[in-house]
Amino acid sequence: MGRLHTDTLIAIFLLLFCGVFLAASFTIRETSYASLGAEVWPRVVLVFLTLLSLGFLLQSLRPDRREDTPARRDLRQWLAAHTNAFWCFCWFGLFLTTLPYLGMLVGGILFVYATLTSLGRRDLRSHMVHAAIAVISVAAMWALFTYGLNVFLPEGTLISFT
Amino acid sequence: MIEHVLGALAAVFELHTLALMTLGVTAGLIAGAIPGFTIAMAVVLTLPFTFGMTATQGLSTMIGVLVGGLSGGLMAGMLTGIPGTPSSVATTFDGFPMARGGRPGLALGIGVWSSFFGGITGAVVLVTLAPQLARVGLEFGPWDYFALVMFALTITSSLSGKALLKGIIAGTLGLLVAAIGEDEVNGVARFTFGSDAIRQGFAFLPVLVGLFAFSQLLSDVQDRDKARQALMPRGTKAVRVEHRKAIGEVLRRWTVVLRSSMIGVFTGILPGAGSSVSNILAYDQAKKASQHPEKFGTGTPDGIVAPESSNNATEGGALIMVMALGIPGDIVTAVMLGALLIHDVVPSPSFISDEPVLAYSIFIAFFFAHFIMVTMQAVCLRIFVLITRIPMYVLASVILVYCAIGVFALHNVGFDLWTLFLFGIVGYTMRNLGFPLAPMILGVVLGDIAELNLNRAWSISNDISLFVTRPWSAFFLTLALFSAVFPWYQRDRNRKKWTVFYLPVFLLVIAAPVLAMGGTVRPVLGAGLVLVGGYLLWRRVKPSSSNPDA
Repeated sequence: MGRLHTDTLIAIFLLLFCGVFLAASFTIRETSYASLGAEVWPRVVLVFLTLLSLGFLLQSLRPDRREDTPARRDLRQWLAAHTNAFWCFCWFGLFLTTLPYLGMLVGGILFVYATLTSLGRRDLRSHMVHAAIAVISVAAMWALFTYGLNVFLPEGTLISFT
Repeated sequence: MIEHVLGALAAVFELHTLALMTLGVTAGLIAGAIPGFTIAMAVVLTLPFTFGMTATQGLSTMIGVLVGGLSGGLMAGMLTGIPGTPSSVATTFDGFPMARGGRPGLALGIGVWSSFFGGITGAVVLVTLAPQLARVGLEFGPWDYFALVMFALTITSSLSGKALLKGIIAGTLGLLVAAIGEDEVNGVARFTFGSDAIRQGFAFLPVLVGLFAFSQLLSDVQDRDKARQALMPRGTKAVRVEHRKAIGEVLRRWTVVLRSSMIGVFTGILPGAGSSVSNILAYDQAKKASQHPEKFGTGTPDGIVAPESSNNATEGGALIMVMALGIPGDIVTAVMLGALLIHDVVPSPSFISDEPVLAYSIFIAFFFAHFIMVTMQAVCLRIFVLITRIPMYVLASVILVYCAIGVFALHNVGFDLWTLFLFGIVGYTMRNLGFPLAPMILGVVLGDIAELNLNRAWSISNDISLFVTRPWSAFFLTLALFSAVFPWYQRDRNRKKWTVFYLPVFLLVIAAPVLAMGGTVRPVLGAGLVLVGGYLLWRRVKPSSSNPDA
């Protein structure tokens, strides 16, 4: 059996997704006062999405009717194509997780520095340039929002400036 | 009316607002000039700055960014051959050869002044047409609004490339995202999966920034080597814009300006088709109408005038839909709608009469931003050349943290940052799997409007046939149906026999609700549609037709 086409996998995922949400739609509380219950519209959308996903699945099984999905690559090619995005997501996830402890200013500087270093060159000069960019850019934005727009940005429990 | 216009003039010409608009135009010009940065992204990223401003200031700033962005794309296209935005693709066809031929100052000048005249034409049509369309919009009932939303979604999906099914799936996913959290009518929680944070639903801005800006930035740095290179080739130089000569060249081609601007305005009115479509349409039409079509592509002024007039006029058309009906046609106007909602202004057919000062402020800001754009272009050219020396990975890293700060500033809620992250992943995955994002974003924006109107319609009557018997609803549903079939029509055109019947059948079917609308003008229009449709159908089916398919 040949490998499944990417569209087929997407369609199966969408069908599972619709299944989970349709099941969840039966837990929506019904009210006696509503002319149209809160569950009706999401169910209409979900039923339509399920039909579309079924159509997409059938289409993906016909080799002459596949929509323009990029060709599947092997794992190494796939990882190489998305390495930069993975770094960004990892650092951003870490930035959000540590935000309550480090705050927006320090967390932001560390995030920009880590992302720049992951995506850019890693020699000594680049490290210094990245550090300078991180400190100047985040400090400027932080100051603009805090003092210019009076937005209260989160301060960390570990590092606080007030 | 005069007092409202004067009030709007006072609000827009306040020193603070003017300064913000100038800043917005400058930012838009620079962002538009950077390949990989779209106008929509520039407008999305401006939104967080507007929270602390008044509605007039916020919208004027965003309009400044929009107008600047539309004109900024031409700088990169002419100086390097790489269009800054999709709106300037056709400008490059003749702008780059002209610049390389030793006339970069004139090429830029023609581009700038064509943008100016196109934008002014768009503004005039906006001022004239928006109040009229709003009056028509007052006739709409909830059935009609629901059908209009369906039409906006289907046409956006069908115009978003070859993958129609993926476009409709994306739009439907957007509707589902909008349905998560407490429903607006009954206050009942939906799809919270036990999380209190989700109870409020996903805020619009984090979803938009995540889906669009976050995923765009990650796509821009996907190629490791390209991400480390400077944005433009070294040696890109600022040039002196030849304004006087350029004005003469543009005014000599006033018919091209006018025709292209009209193409732009009407493309803008159509949901889903933005300036990336109109600039190519206008270029194509200018080439067809020209006495020297062979000169197109070699650096002819007509090839610059047409796309640049049309792309600036397009946003005038798109603003008409938002201001008159409260329905955004593209991502940029969806953000504008979001900005209005942040300032507790709900766009609807009664928007212009309820908020006349704000409405006229938008008209005036759109008009005046074009004057600022012409003034700032020369300054921005130098800044643009400096910025192009920065590699993309540096810009992307800095803007990612800016996205986080901007999103947090909206409600001061940490959950919004996680929403941004989640939809960043969703957007990046969808982009890579070939799903268009515009229908999903419109689905998120229009989901609540669709549900609210469905609820209202059901509360008034549970007769479902009203969706097809009410003229406006039938009109929009017909448009939705034919726009859904449009991609197949395009694919099979001139190859399969059924396509020859598409246009006449469409005209005959759409004539029915127009005839039923009442009054004098609309039935006459409907009769005209029947005549044209009938004539086309007769030509298609008569045996001696010159059409080989018939």
